[in-house]
Amino acid sequence: MSRPGFVLEVDDRTPPLLVHNGEGFLLERFPLGTRVVYPPEALPPVRDVDEAIQNALLNPIESEPLPELLRAGMRLTIAFDDISIPLPPMKKPDIRQRIIEAVLELAAQAGVDDVELISANALHRRLTPNELRDIVGERVFRSFFPDGKLYNFDAEDSANLTHLGQTRHGEDVEISKRAAESDLLVYVNVNLVAMDGGHKSTSIGLASYKSLKHHHNSHTMIHSRSFMDHKRSKMHESAWRMGEILTQHVKVFQIETTLNNDIFGGPLEFLQKREWEWSIKDQASMLGTKRALAAAPAKLRHKIFTDVRSNYGLTGVHAGKIEPVHDKTLENVHRQHLVEVQGQSDVAIMGVPFIGPYNVNSVMNPILAACMGLGYYFNSYRGNPIVRKDGAVILYHPVDYEFSQLHHPSYVDFFEEVLAESTDPATIEAKFEKQYAEDPWYIHLYRTSYAYHGVHPFYMWYWISHALDHCGDIVWVGANRKTVERMGFRSASTLQDALEMVSHSVGRSPSITYLHNPPHLLADVR
Amino acid sequence: MGTSLVKFGRDTARDVKQVARGWRWGRRPQVPRSAEPYVIPKESTVFPTKWARTPAAIAVRDLIQKGPLNAVLNFEVSPQVSGLDSLLKLDGPAIIVANHSSHLDTPLLLLSLPDAMRRKTAFAAAADYFFDTWWRAAGSAIVFNTFPIERRGGNLSSTPGDLLADGWNVVVFPEGTRSPDGWIQRFRMGAAYLAVEHDVPVIPVGIKGSFAAMPRGRGWPVPGRPAVHVRYGDPLYAAEGESPRDFAPRIAAAVSALLDEESTTWYEARRRAAIGASPSQTGPAAARWRRVWETTRPMKSTDGRRRAWK
Repeated sequence: MSRPGFVLEVDDRTPPLLVHNGEGFLLERFPLGTRVVYPPEALPPVRDVDEAIQNALLNPIESEPLPELLRAGMRLTIAFDDISIPLPPMKKPDIRQRIIEAVLELAAQAGVDDVELISANALHRRLTPNELRDIVGERVFRSFFPDGKLYNFDAEDSANLTHLGQTRHGEDVEISKRAAESDLLVYVNVNLVAMDGGHKSTSIGLASYKSLKHHHNSHTMIHSRSFMDHKRSKMHESAWRMGEILTQHVKVFQIETTLNNDIFGGPLEFLQKREWEWSIKDQASMLGTKRALAAAPAKLRHKIFTDVRSNYGLTGVHAGKIEPVHDKTLENVHRQHLVEVQGQSDVAIMGVPFIGPYNVNSVMNPILAACMGLGYYFNSYRGNPIVRKDGAVILYHPVDYEFSQLHHPSYVDFFEEVLAESTDPATIEAKFEKQYAEDPWYIHLYRTSYAYHGVHPFYMWYWISHALDHCGDIVWVGANRKTVERMGFRSASTLQDALEMVSHSVGRSPSITYLHNPPHLLADVR
Repeated sequence: MGTSLVKFGRDTARDVKQVARGWRWGRRPQVPRSAEPYVIPKESTVFPTKWARTPAAIAVRDLIQKGPLNAVLNFEVSPQVSGLDSLLKLDGPAIIVANHSSHLDTPLLLLSLPDAMRRKTAFAAAADYFFDTWWRAAGSAIVFNTFPIERRGGNLSSTPGDLLADGWNVVVFPEGTRSPDGWIQRFRMGAAYLAVEHDVPVIPVGIKGSFAAMPRGRGWPVPGRPAVHVRYGDPLYAAEGESPRDFAPRIAAAVSALLDEESTTWYEARRRAAIGASPSQTGPAAARWRRVWETTRPMKSTDGRRRAWK
């Protein structure tokens, strides 16, 4: 049985609580009365995954069964979510592999020859062949990759993009030509958090910059409250409008999956247990891990965390028409992540972990750390933000000056050139975005190497625009002072110092809420 | 290198210290109050205690009880025992029932019993408290001859019945836990049920002063060798056809009368009991401090020693 999430109130019986802190963690004693939001425990997984997949494909929601949509001579395209989800990556076999194999099995029976598989990475970096193989599995990889039928989406390959039209708001819908011209597009999704899935899958995953810029901008993001609640998210509204246009042209068979919160296993299991329930073994594991990480060289520490693979149990798989499928998906996601929280607080505290969507097999640079904390974690709410307007956010992460030149080349220039001039999302959007988006060198690296698109760091910054607009103070604990200063934030040595620094805006006895994630949670703030 | 090693050692010591304090090493773990509704009750696994009643274990226990335990108890408190002649009226095993307000109650009861009876006495102990770890369970079983019972419901253990059938006396604290203020709490029906079911007498015992000597939260008696009184009463027998529900109040009244007797005299207490006017031992309906104030009032020692000042 899994227990629901709940809000702990720190009292004299509360042991020090675990806080994620980049490639490490620490134990923190929070002031008495601090509210701590714990996510629900992992839901029981589906017992027979293959049977659940078959059931979803043969009994889809508001759609013909998949075998009826498959016929010889058709053009079938299978798009799938890229490496940015789930986080941490999933132990093999990946759920996408199991679904794609089931779809291909039916396609083979129907005699479909023209099949292509596309990683829906939009402006994310291309996946390496090994990363593609990890997602789709050896059989699929061997059957399609050598012939170029399994590949990454290229948003800058204008010859292979199709403009499907404009929404009633004048938004361009431009997606992969192959997908647009297919008789059937099967989208295989992993819905880790409430933001994913629905029309966001195809309308964003297979779209070009021309299309993405309509919703990936500071104005949209500041009015997405939050982007984890698609009914109150301007970004999702735009994607949904695009989805309407897209589905008028392309038949989409959406397959969405939801995962449980079983993220940390083995010696790291203590990371997903409630601290006062740590056994002697958990305490020993925590101490051993903490001291080993302290002694390990940075490279080894990085490797330890990069190699983390999660068990994840499947909590649901639904297929068919996009909207009703996504409604079912959200039910499952909410069942796993939603925690009711009464009222906002003056201060929100978050520990930024070692991984975010854009640094899988890479390093979390300062912009990604900010995006993870002030973007994803800050927006992990439904209703109201966890912190009141003009309240303070305190984050934990070292925020080292560290970039991957392979994966994030434009981030370096964004950090040095753009943020040096302004940290205001609207200003930098107006002044710099076009230049970075159209920079031929960044485009070249995006298309031929493994670099994120030149405009991607801007999107990360827009991701945090709601938090920047909402919060009066943002302080990082234990962070590199120079890097956080460049981003317009402040750094404190300890939590006590951070609370001291924000006391001018929230007072000496602020109400505090600590979001105890990962595992993932969605605060339902009433 | 040397400096970094020193720093690593210092940081490791700091981390270990933080965990030791945070998770209360050597002490009972605590759950934050707001998390209590979410704690999953532990699967009850019955800790075997049969070994603690083998001849070898009885011999070891005898040594411990008559040696260090007796010495420490008498060094720290001043036990005053009365009514032992009531035990002479027994001709078989009995259930010994006492009020419970301190961890001192168990050794006090045990060491006040005649040796032959003490060796043949077992204690019912809360499974969730004394049997939550193997070392605590084994320790209490060897020293006090405890066996686990579930005080929060669950399956009724067959152990006490088996013990009575084998001729063992069984000590039960029917309040289920130590009193938070020294006054008697509601008696549960387990002891009455056992007595009726196995047709054995109940020996009521009133213990006074143990709360003042070592209340909840203290790990050792207060200084000053406080007096603690243990008074045994006559055996009670369930009448023909009497149900546990009817017998339980009689047991509670007998314990209350013994505590009343401790404050006055045997005859006065008997007279009050006869007309049903024994003063309530559940304490006044007052603020907690007043209830505690009353139960911690210093008691006169009857050992004849004079106090340093009056």
